Amino acid sequence: MSLLSNKSAKEISDLLDEYGIKHGPVVDSTRNLYEKKLKEAMAKGKRPTSSPDKTFYREEEEEVTYVYTTPSRSDFAGERTTYMRSRPDWTEREQERSYSDYSRSKSEYSGKDMVDEPRMYDTPSTYRNSYVKSPPVKSDQKVPKTSSRLIPLWVQFVFFLAVAIFLYIIFSNMETNESLKGIV
Amino acid sequence: MSTTSQKHRDFVGEPMGDKPVTALSGIGDSLGKKLEDQGFDKAFVVLGQFLLLKKDTEMFTEWLKDASGANSRQAGSCAQCLKEWCDAFL
Repeated sequence: MSLLSNKSAKEISDLLDEYGIKHGPVVDSTRNLYEKKLKEAMAKGKRPTSSPDKTFYREEEEEVTYVYTTPSRSDFAGERTTYMRSRPDWTEREQERSYSDYSRSKSEYSGKDMVDEPRMYDTPSTYRNSYVKSPPVKSDQKVPKTSSRLIPLWVQFVFFLAVAIFLYIIFSNMETNESLKGIV
Repeated sequence: MSTTSQKHRDFVGEPMGDKPVTALSGIGDSLGKKLEDQGFDKAFVVLGQFLLLKKDTEMFTEWLKDASGANSRQAGSCAQCLKEWCDAFL
């Protein structure tokens, strides 16, 4: 790797753009700072041109590894149903696709032996196995900020306070003819 | 309510003109001397550097720390001071 100090101002500027570092002109007084920034960025190992394709490749890799590490085909019959039940939060699209694969493979193999069925069920099961991995990834992306609560905590507090105040108002506005012996 | 110092308010309240670099918020005598040694003898020269960094306070803070040995508080204060001055007068 050639030294940053040997690069021209334009090259430094291009490198800064590659790492996504917003910068001004590279002149004498700013050059040192930008070189330092580039060194930090390179040391952190940030890939210069990160693109969304990387996540796509990762999913493909996971799919491949799952095909190789599947234990035995006869176990799939039971595992498949448990996967379907334990992942109720999958998107409907994924479930429809897996259902359609299921129905397609079933209709194709209605005339064939039972021996062929487990083998061909690999394709829907590989889809599902890759889905097993992807929900944790997707859930991380989909729910980055909020914790595991459906309703935010502050909403719960506000609701509780509102109910409490409402009940207090009702209680305080009640007028009875009898004396309030039992209450006071 | 305001957490800015009097020095900050004095600087941001009017055009800087020929004020020395020590008029900047966060820049005292020792830091001012170090900056002057590097050629930044007036506040507007430091302003020039701030503008070269596209008014990015984080970048400027880092530059100031490297150039003068300022700590995070001092550099941040100076950056904020310049940013507000720019918002008002630039």
